[in-house]
Amino acid sequence: MAFKLLKKIGVYIFVLIGLSILVFLIARVIPGDPARQALGPHASEETVQALRERMNLDKPLPLQYVLWLKDAVQLDLGESLLTRRSVVADIRQYLPATLEIVLLSSLCMVAGGILLGVLSAKYTGKWLDGIIRVLSYLGIVSPAFVWGVLFMLLFGYLIPILPTTGRIDQSVAAPAAITGMYTLDFLLAGNVAGWWDAFRHLILPGIALMLGGMAQAARLTRGNMVENSMKDYILAERAYGVPENRILRKYLLKPSLIPTITVMAMDISSIFGNAFLVENLFNYPGLSRYGLSAMLNKDINAISGVVMVLGITFIILNILSDLIVAWLDPRVRLMGGSED
Amino acid sequence: MKKGMSFLLAVLMILSLTGCGGTPANSGGSGGNASAPSAGNTSGAIEAGATVLRTTEDWPTYYDPAVGSSFSCSTAQANIYDPLIFPQTDGSVRPHLATEWTISDDALTYTFTIRDDVKFHSGNLMKASDVAYSMNRMLEIGEGYAYLYTDLIEDCYAEDDTHVVFKLNKPFGPFLYALVRCMIVEQALVEEHYDLSDSAYGDKGDYGKTWLLTNDAGSGAYKTVEFKLDEYLLAERFEDYFLGWEEGAPQYFRISGMTDPVAVRTAMSNRELEITDELQPLENYNTMDAMDGVDLSAVCGGNTFNMMLNTKAEFTDDVHLRKAIAYCFDYEVLRTQIYPGALPSQGPVAIVLPGFDDSIPTYTRDVEKAKEELAQSQYAGQSITLSLSWCAEVPEQEKISLLLQSNLAELGINLEITKKPFGSMITDAQSPETTPQISFVNFNSPYFEAGGMLRTRYHSASCGSWEQMEWLQDEKLDEMIEEALATVDDAERFAKYSEIQWYIYDLCPTIWGFNWLEKRAVQSGYVDWNSLNATQNGTDYFMPMGFAIWCHDIKITQ
Repeated sequence: MAFKLLKKIGVYIFVLIGLSILVFLIARVIPGDPARQALGPHASEETVQALRERMNLDKPLPLQYVLWLKDAVQLDLGESLLTRRSVVADIRQYLPATLEIVLLSSLCMVAGGILLGVLSAKYTGKWLDGIIRVLSYLGIVSPAFVWGVLFMLLFGYLIPILPTTGRIDQSVAAPAAITGMYTLDFLLAGNVAGWWDAFRHLILPGIALMLGGMAQAARLTRGNMVENSMKDYILAERAYGVPENRILRKYLLKPSLIPTITVMAMDISSIFGNAFLVENLFNYPGLSRYGLSAMLNKDINAISGVVMVLGITFIILNILSDLIVAWLDPRVRLMGGSED
Repeated sequence: MKKGMSFLLAVLMILSLTGCGGTPANSGGSGGNASAPSAGNTSGAIEAGATVLRTTEDWPTYYDPAVGSSFSCSTAQANIYDPLIFPQTDGSVRPHLATEWTISDDALTYTFTIRDDVKFHSGNLMKASDVAYSMNRMLEIGEGYAYLYTDLIEDCYAEDDTHVVFKLNKPFGPFLYALVRCMIVEQALVEEHYDLSDSAYGDKGDYGKTWLLTNDAGSGAYKTVEFKLDEYLLAERFEDYFLGWEEGAPQYFRISGMTDPVAVRTAMSNRELEITDELQPLENYNTMDAMDGVDLSAVCGGNTFNMMLNTKAEFTDDVHLRKAIAYCFDYEVLRTQIYPGALPSQGPVAIVLPGFDDSIPTYTRDVEKAKEELAQSQYAGQSITLSLSWCAEVPEQEKISLLLQSNLAELGINLEITKKPFGSMITDAQSPETTPQISFVNFNSPYFEAGGMLRTRYHSASCGSWEQMEWLQDEKLDEMIEEALATVDDAERFAKYSEIQWYIYDLCPTIWGFNWLEKRAVQSGYVDWNSLNATQNGTDYFMPMGFAIWCHDIKITQ
């Protein structure tokens, strides 16, 4: 297992290098001069040229990449043309906000998805199963931003009970930065009112982000459980008179979760992707909103930085899902993962 | 029992959400007003009950006067900093930090007397040296509005604490109009925050740019409480402001980087926003206009829509063909269906700028006349195909390009339409060969005077930039513009501008589409704003970009 993990990490390093080349090239071949775009149409040519030189844009593309990579491995991703600060400082500021919302969404997605899947499987063919299946279809076919717009109109416009923009209300002072995640920092500071305000701001974007994944997880869990419930070992358990709830919890759920967990790792990654539109819609100052601004403004260093962070997150999630699957499935542990 | 508990929990959840959801209109929370804040808010939060004026704008905002020049930057600068000269609603200018000025006989030296009672937000008094420093810093950095002064100012220095001298290298009539963009920073405070690890400006390090990204060194009506660079700028009333305060002026001012239509509409509906940005789609303005206590302000800010015709390209190098396009285009559809309410253009200058000649006629659609012009062109009878680029960032331009395409089809002219990011259009504009025959560009004069528009749009010096994709390169026109700009007397200069406008009108290098109306939805129920009043009363209200939302003159009335 350890060998397999090391092998995978090796592959992921190559993936990261490939990703960095791809992103670097894409960011630079988009039409338009980033230096001119950053300084505006009226800046003098000398000023623009000075910025080009400062950003190495006057050098050949391969050399630019080598210089960028050299700095990147030392955690220097260059200066953002948009915020005029170092990209690393920006990522440090915006990433916790996105992580906060992604973590909340992921937790709800995992818990809600599995719970709905189990309920649906338990009551297969009943009205509850029907409702959950219809809702799952809706969740899967509707993109997160559509839910976002719907929730905003519903709970922000028609029945205004939840905040629709930002991380905290204007009347609430931001907590001292410890983790950068407001809900956590408020709790650490013992400020319950602040925590509640920050949490309320997470509800609408968080739900919008997790619905798709939750629906997917529910469908997968249900499908696997229904399929496994017909297997011999389950029939044998039933024949021995083991209570149905125990079969469900102990013998049916665990193996049924394995494919769900693999897919959920992908779904959590896709929450990062969906956050690009949802954060923008809710004016939520996270990494995805920053990434979107960077793309619209051809902020090449920021684009590369954000994509690399997302790439690394994707890899970490994949490794985590491999570990969880190995923990759940002894075959993977014992056979070194040769099942795939 | 379990069901009962679930029901109780659900009820409690809904009650808690509802209980925490609503707050009164325009309070420090999500709406309401009333009691004054304590001096020097450092927490970043608005006290409950304080009056606040919230607006939205396109982001990012750079309020360092030597760096920013966009709409949001200009709005922030106008509130945080002060210029020597301030614009007025009739398009003219008035003394502000400067009480008076003298101009030398050769019109090359301007000496300003500045007030001796102006305090910076730090509490220090402003001196003439701060003015000179601000101008020299802007020139050296070369960003933002520096382009207005770069080729003009030879030297700027303080004579004593209250007199500052600007030496020009050539006479420049609209200099006072241009000076509204020179905002004054506190020299000592900025110097204290030079980042010397950066050598971009030699011994001045980064010239204080990093610090001024999120901190202010101004004397303006509002001082920064908190600037979250990619989110919002929150500023509070500067109680020692040299012009004093009238009752009702908002205690706080907040610009948010948020222009998403659904979010803006929701915030407006919940009274979490007082004045919207000017970038909303028409449908959103109409929806907000229908809300209780919300009205639309629509004023002309000097922005114009132009179809630039490349006069060095095949076909559009013929003046008759250009006029054929001008007469063929359906301006009425443009102004009634695509941009309802937009005002007709009359020649090359925006109709609100001082120096505009209102005797210049408007081109109107006349297909017969267009056919006559086409028949007179050297390309009559030939198969004509024109290329057009429209700006991808302005979706409505696609409709205009399709309208033009159908209009030109009536003359037998083909139009090949390309959607391009503005960055690509700038690249295309670098040579006549790469510039398409027709390019759509919105343009706002760099300073609020006709000369700014004529010089930037039609002088040969701007060829190769997006500002002049016509490639006129007309020596006679260049001389006329330079001579007019060198004329200090306003009446005399405006007469020369008039001649230039007619000259350009006859050349027809541009299809002048319309004058933009800067629309914003406003909480008219409790916001007293001159721009809205002017819209409702039908009076003139002309302000350079950013100055319209000068919160010092806005009142929160409940």
